Amino acid sequence: MINILLAGVGGQGTVLAAKVLAKAAQSKGWQVRTAETIGMAQRGGSVTSHVRMGSDGEAVQAPLVTKGTADVVIAFEPGEAARALLYLAPEGVLVTATSAIQPVTAALAGAPYNGEAVVSALQQSVAGSTVRFVPVDDQALVAAAGNRKALNMMLLAVAVAQNRIPLTIDELKAAVAACVKPQFVTMNLKAIDEAVASA
Amino acid sequence: MTTKLLMGNEAFAWAALMAGVNVVAGYPGTPSSELVETVARLHAQGIARDVHVEWSTNEKAALEVAAGASYCGARALFTCKQVGLNVASDALMSLNYVGIGGGLVLFVADDPGPISSQTEQDTRRFAAFAKVPVLDPATPEEGFAMMQQAFELSERYHTPVIVRPTTRICHASTFFDLPEFTQARPLPPEGFQKDPKWVIFPKRSFEAHGEVNRRLPRIAWDYAFQPEYARFNVIEEGDSQPSDLSPRVGVVTGGVSTQYAREALALLRQWAAEAGIALPPLRHLAVGTPHPFPVEAAAKFAEGLQDVIVFEELDSVLEEELLKLAGQRHMPLRVSGKLTGEAPDRGENSTEVLAQRLARFLDRTSPKPLELSQLVENRLADSATDPYAGPLPVRPPVLCAGCPHRGSFFAIKQALGKTPAVFCGDIGCYTLGNAKPLDAVDTCLCMGAGITMAQGFATVQPGAKNIAFVGDSTFFASALTGIANAVYNGHDITVAVLDNATTAMTGSQPHPGTGLTLMGEQRKPLVIEEVLKALGVGCITFANPHNLDEATTAAREAIEFNGPSAIIFRAPCIQLKKPDEPVVINGSTCTGCKKCIASIGCPAIGFDPTAAGPRSGARGQAFIDTSLCDGCGLCVQVCPFDAIEGPVPAPYGIPRICELGVTVADSILHSDEPTGSFPPVSLDGETPAEAEEGIDD
Repeated sequence: MINILLAGVGGQGTVLAAKVLAKAAQSKGWQVRTAETIGMAQRGGSVTSHVRMGSDGEAVQAPLVTKGTADVVIAFEPGEAARALLYLAPEGVLVTATSAIQPVTAALAGAPYNGEAVVSALQQSVAGSTVRFVPVDDQALVAAAGNRKALNMMLLAVAVAQNRIPLTIDELKAAVAACVKPQFVTMNLKAIDEAVASA
Repeated sequence: MTTKLLMGNEAFAWAALMAGVNVVAGYPGTPSSELVETVARLHAQGIARDVHVEWSTNEKAALEVAAGASYCGARALFTCKQVGLNVASDALMSLNYVGIGGGLVLFVADDPGPISSQTEQDTRRFAAFAKVPVLDPATPEEGFAMMQQAFELSERYHTPVIVRPTTRICHASTFFDLPEFTQARPLPPEGFQKDPKWVIFPKRSFEAHGEVNRRLPRIAWDYAFQPEYARFNVIEEGDSQPSDLSPRVGVVTGGVSTQYAREALALLRQWAAEAGIALPPLRHLAVGTPHPFPVEAAAKFAEGLQDVIVFEELDSVLEEELLKLAGQRHMPLRVSGKLTGEAPDRGENSTEVLAQRLARFLDRTSPKPLELSQLVENRLADSATDPYAGPLPVRPPVLCAGCPHRGSFFAIKQALGKTPAVFCGDIGCYTLGNAKPLDAVDTCLCMGAGITMAQGFATVQPGAKNIAFVGDSTFFASALTGIANAVYNGHDITVAVLDNATTAMTGSQPHPGTGLTLMGEQRKPLVIEEVLKALGVGCITFANPHNLDEATTAAREAIEFNGPSAIIFRAPCIQLKKPDEPVVINGSTCTGCKKCIASIGCPAIGFDPTAAGPRSGARGQAFIDTSLCDGCGLCVQVCPFDAIEGPVPAPYGIPRICELGVTVADSILHSDEPTGSFPPVSLDGETPAEAEEGIDD
């Protein structure tokens, strides 16, 4: 069983990322379940997508990842990585974009939250543990790919490149090609190459 | 056949179409909305053939449309969220007495948590109250099977049938094998057969009540013994148990809790085996047909058991049925669950919570000490990562950057100044107007309630202004009777209609005010001001909510009017339009006063304490997140130092209707496009924003 939690802010593309992972798993012949947070939370709130793959041919029962069992947490934003940390398994991989997205409440309080502080606190939380921490300079990735819209696919690529999810980059690419509109395939595949090169 | 990843709600839509459904009618509400949208999309693509699909004006309208279709022999499907059934309940209660023609299924999505709802009401309970059968899937796959079977059940017993999934079924996805197209069932040539039975009178009600009472035990029997229904009530004996030992304890589950329990049991078995603890044999009953309760299946399950624990979300429906069974049959059975405090009394269940509760239950019921609870706590602690101790941003949902509601709320507050006022909110994105700094929603009760509650406030507290906010979809769904009441009883309220040309909160559904139907027709939109005028509202003003001067003037004029008045704030939801150019903060003029942030709380405006300029010194300056800014220009008008640069949207300059009998300009009343240059909404369920992201279905 492979458990993956995608965490981000509404509008960042976690749903499409979950679809791509599901498609990749299905292509391997595994049972797969995904679950989304939809509704009020989409309006700038925290969103998560749960992806569960029966990678040993087993049945997947519950739609949600149990706390402490995610093989990989892929966070699109450092604060959301921190919030999702309790889902990570002790030997899990934590991939997170490092650029903060400010909640409106932070600006109101006059205290913008500091993404770097969150990243370093995350680093401390996992220091000395068996967790593999993979901070991703998403701004550099976006600059290299030339398109912020492909960030979700680039983070997936970085996560797959960690070799914890038994999928290859080629399998990921095939799933991307099957899930995004034809006119966006080339852009996304190029972005994945950039991400793999940087990982 | 093709294999596709479907969200639960999409799977329910396919299942109904594969069952030959002829008419689908609903009202949007999370977590139910995607079913109707899927039918509309498949119809638009030519895949779902000969089906009629519509968003009705509200749930009551939808169920009555479905009932009429069913009387003619059509298979009909009604959809709503749990609180939507409250609105449709008047129709449902008597419909069950009258009976149906073609199969009639109610798809009612419950929301444990609640995640996006105002109550945690349990539709299984509602089904028992209305005396209609209900099916409660544990997975999207089971829901797919249940939806098809529900039409058969409905026609077999001439009863409406409820299919009740919860959020985790509706919004969970898995792969399904699907046909290339679906065909609605041919309608019976004889059509509607006139008969006294269709007219509900007290005498007929008495007879019909007897029929309802007689069919429920038969359905319960089918649920236990007819394979096509009994497959939804599964008894599982623990597979790793010594076969010579028959179980003394059992667990009963319903809905998604069945899946959590299966997983929790597997975990317990694994952990117990690793710790060398022998688990007692345990029997599991998964109930997919909670009402009428499958008594015989439960009795078979309970044979020889002394203790059972029940896990279900929302109410203690299964638990009470088991207690009833134990009482009726004098079984030596102790039933645990919500009523005994051994299962969570509300909210969602989860694998870990069920593992903990099951362990405690097994510890309590075991004749010899097991110490499973401690084992589970230890194992859960082992798998916990070190807690995160750093700063964590709070991220409540907020109105989007560029949302026209922000300007509407702000203008009303500007117009009121220090005048005491109560803001009655309603259901929709605009409930988020309660957040600071707007702080413009004091009440939120249910659909349409803002307008009528404001009248109660006005009656008892005539000294304060009473403002009711209502969205355009909610306006047509449930505001009209409230406005008629204000005019009839002479209540001094001001209705602020927040017309963003869509049902935004639930995902941009069209409604009567947009004129687009799910069948792909563009009809003449119902015009809100015409409706208000026809209902006798004496003062109606208009404004572009992005133009602060016009919005404030329009608000002031309506608020000062003595008697029912209305302001129509009209601008499209940002999900319907392409973003305009972001505004720019001029670093040489920004003083760092934070007026923009403290006034309108736009998520695209942040504050950078390290930014410096000639007028801000070391105070810091505001900055614009250009990835979020929609270029609405509201902040440009709020900044007292003209430090935010960008175009200010033009006022509409639409004349007001401030006296009864004054004619509204023809150009407004008879325009087919009262909302100006709104972009067309596409029926494939994709908003322009999604098209940008390249999201495919």
